[in-house]
Amino acid sequence: MERKPPLPAGTTVAFERTGETMEEMYVNMGPQHPSTHGVLRLLLKLDGEYITDCIPYIGYLHRCHEKIGENRNYTQIIPYTDRLDYLAAMSMNFGYVLTVERLMGVKVPERAEYMRVILAELQRIASHLLWLATFGLDLGNFTIFIYCFRERERILDLFEAVSGQRLNYSFYRIGGMAMDFPDSWAADCRSFLDWFKQRLPEYDALMGENVLFQKRVQGIGIIDPKVAVDYGLSGPMIRSCGVQWDLRRRDLYSVYDRFDFETPVFDSCDVWARYMVRRREMAESARIVEQALAQLPAGDIMAKVPKNIKPPAGQIYCRTESPRGELGFYLISDGSPKPYRYKVRSPAYVNLSAVPEMLRGCLVADLVAVLGSVDIVLGEVDR
Amino acid sequence: MTIKLAIFYFLAAFTVWAAGVVVFGKNIVRAAVALIFSFCGMAALYVLLDAEFLAAVQVLIYVGGITILLLFAIMLTSRIGSKAVKVVNDQVVLSAMTGIGLLVGLIYASIAGIAELSAPPRLPETAPFLGRALLTTYALPFEVVSVLLLAAMIGAIILARKE
Amino acid sequence: MSSFADLVECLYAITAAWGIPWIIPTLVVMTVVAGIVIGYIAVAAMFMIWWERKVSAHIQVRFGPMRVGGWHGWAQSIADGVKLLLKEDIIPANADKVVFVLAPMVVFAAALAAYVTIPWAPGLIVRDLNIGILYMISISSLAVVGIIMAGWSSNNKYSVLGAMRSAAQAVSYEVPLVLSLLGPVMIAGTMSMGRLVEAQNGWWFGVLPKWFVFPQVVAFVVYFTCALAECNRLPFDIPEAESELVAGFHVEYSGMRFAIFFLAEYANMFTVTAIAATLFLGGWHGPWMPLPGLPQEVAQGLFGLFWFLLKCYFLIFVMMWLRWTLARLRVDQLMGLAWKVLLPVAFANLIVTGLVLVLGKQVLLYVVGIGIVILVAVGLALRASANTVRMQMQKARG
Repeated sequence: MERKPPLPAGTTVAFERTGETMEEMYVNMGPQHPSTHGVLRLLLKLDGEYITDCIPYIGYLHRCHEKIGENRNYTQIIPYTDRLDYLAAMSMNFGYVLTVERLMGVKVPERAEYMRVILAELQRIASHLLWLATFGLDLGNFTIFIYCFRERERILDLFEAVSGQRLNYSFYRIGGMAMDFPDSWAADCRSFLDWFKQRLPEYDALMGENVLFQKRVQGIGIIDPKVAVDYGLSGPMIRSCGVQWDLRRRDLYSVYDRFDFETPVFDSCDVWARYMVRRREMAESARIVEQALAQLPAGDIMAKVPKNIKPPAGQIYCRTESPRGELGFYLISDGSPKPYRYKVRSPAYVNLSAVPEMLRGCLVADLVAVLGSVDIVLGEVDR
Repeated sequence: MTIKLAIFYFLAAFTVWAAGVVVFGKNIVRAAVALIFSFCGMAALYVLLDAEFLAAVQVLIYVGGITILLLFAIMLTSRIGSKAVKVVNDQVVLSAMTGIGLLVGLIYASIAGIAELSAPPRLPETAPFLGRALLTTYALPFEVVSVLLLAAMIGAIILARKE
Repeated sequence: MSSFADLVECLYAITAAWGIPWIIPTLVVMTVVAGIVIGYIAVAAMFMIWWERKVSAHIQVRFGPMRVGGWHGWAQSIADGVKLLLKEDIIPANADKVVFVLAPMVVFAAALAAYVTIPWAPGLIVRDLNIGILYMISISSLAVVGIIMAGWSSNNKYSVLGAMRSAAQAVSYEVPLVLSLLGPVMIAGTMSMGRLVEAQNGWWFGVLPKWFVFPQVVAFVVYFTCALAECNRLPFDIPEAESELVAGFHVEYSGMRFAIFFLAEYANMFTVTAIAATLFLGGWHGPWMPLPGLPQEVAQGLFGLFWFLLKCYFLIFVMMWLRWTLARLRVDQLMGLAWKVLLPVAFANLIVTGLVLVLGKQVLLYVVGIGIVILVAVGLALRASANTVRMQMQKARG
């Protein structure tokens, strides 16, 4: 069975039920399914064992995030952004406050910038750990789930020490941070990083270097790099297609220009490449946190911003690199305390739209691996 | 009536009843399951005849291979479970006459004690004897059957290939 | 132990003297023995389930059952068994009732019947059939039929697909399994389990026990892989995997019927490891010493039983270890492994064993020499491919 060529950009994907034979059948996966990573429904058209088409049905977790944003003032929106991608809450906060600060032209103090980077990179590690855990679990490796969660628990303990929360931190504020690090936090963080650096080779030995795992993930879920760019994929998805696109390097927002780190890029455009990119990113994030802790200056954590935040009228689109890709916030302000229009460009939403492309020609058994490699979080997809 | 004879009659009746379900049953899946029972009954009868190797092979090949093949074929044919099987067709008279004629002939042969149709002498261990016989006296039929199986496998692979 | 055979003979003699037909004491003995075997299976399965949870927990840096029964939750399996017994017995509405009820019985009967020829200790076999190993393999193939019956009768599209996948896997892996077992059978010259164990008596050079695993390493590896696949254990557990699209064949079974499937699976695990221990690891052979107060045969028997169970449970531990470490194979990769890798290797092993047995030990030297060359070449090739993967893993373009 050969792979069909990708559809031209702009084609709407739809198919009618023209009658099922034994060779061609429709199978529904979800919305409750252990492997869809949330409430996602996939309608698959199968030809024997091969997937000929797939339609994702989303919206099961839609909570009217953007409309609610129009009725809250700018500081009140921050807790809502946590719940967007609840597995990378710090990154969501980061993107949002950066957008408002750019619109207002606020300069954030140095210490707050460093704190932001440290927490965002720790959050990247935590998000990738959870991705690795569920990815391995879907492929049958139960042990790596527990191992990754053990590391993630330590990160969550660090976050709890800083913000009092394990999952939805609401820690960033427009103009700085809510609170400062506790006294022993930097030492705890360093000891975690030392511990973590020894764990990464363990994961490789358990899963990455295992021939069974490699045979399971190599050569499937391939997407052409040009098609990937056309779809607007970002983050590890685009970097696994050989395209160098890292917003931390490209836009140099916050203080990312002061750190020495590499962004891993792999060429093979398949699930294996995405695994490798995220695995390397964990190591690189650990490097960034180390350097940031070393350079962390003393000082204020909050700039002088008014209590009632009223940005000048105007619009802005600001993007950051979340663990899933390009997270964009588009704000139109009309000078009042509440935004006129608040839109979130969610990376998982865009990545999910390319899944039918990746799944065409795959075996049903590969579905789980390919879907897992996209790393979607339905909170972000559905908003 | 020794106990061995009683066991034989019980097993024979079980096998014939299972075979009857296969032939006269209306539900095809139940017929397949009854086929399994009749093969197992046959294997038990082989054991009574001291042909233990043949009994084990009967279970391994017929039950473990051929009935599974039949069940696969039944399950891959859509909606076959709900169709009632037609038990008799136009040739029922001819086939009944042939079957009954064969039965009468076999009963007569066993009562009259025809030498070629009576049981062979019992052996202590049949497996080595079978092995030696297959590779010396009956080597040619053995090789011919191997070629036949090879042809069947190649045919199956060619038929199952998707072009 | 010969004392058991004597006991049974005594019983026959007594009942013959009383004029009771021989069938009655035979049936009594058969029932008692079957009861003992079922009792063993039940206890062993409960132990194995508890042990699996403990092994998996300790591999995953957690504790496993700790509360039920006090010390490390030893009564957890008993509690689970009681729970399963008390569950409601649900039969799906449009299911074929006769086949639905019959399927777990067939699977369990097949698993149970294989215990007839397991050699527990010198002289302690239920019946040392002269086609011992062939009998065990034939009976195991009955279980596959039960699986198909279970899948079909559940009246569930996914159950049927899962059952067919499971049956295809079992049937495919049976072929290299049988071929790999032929190696030790050829060396020992017999299919009887008791005589296979006795053929492994003695020592080479006084230090290496004459177990068949040493001349038949390849056969042992092939056999163990096929045994994992027959038991539907990871990495071959696609038919039972919860996170895959197609559900397993026993998804519609609940309560005691499901418990029977579960019991049969663990009984099967013990059977395949018993075959491995008998044919490859020397069965009940092991050091023994006379115990005070017991006749020599009884002491030998007890030690034999201990060594046999130790070998079996060690192999079961390896099976559990593999389950919690490795990832799952995809269905086509699984079939490809059976037909394209294990089958040719098993054939090669058979040919080499036959050649050595017929042409004498000199051929063995040539075979070992060529084998070493091939192994070194394969090892270098693997190392080269592993290096490319490692380089790939370290490559980063920033």
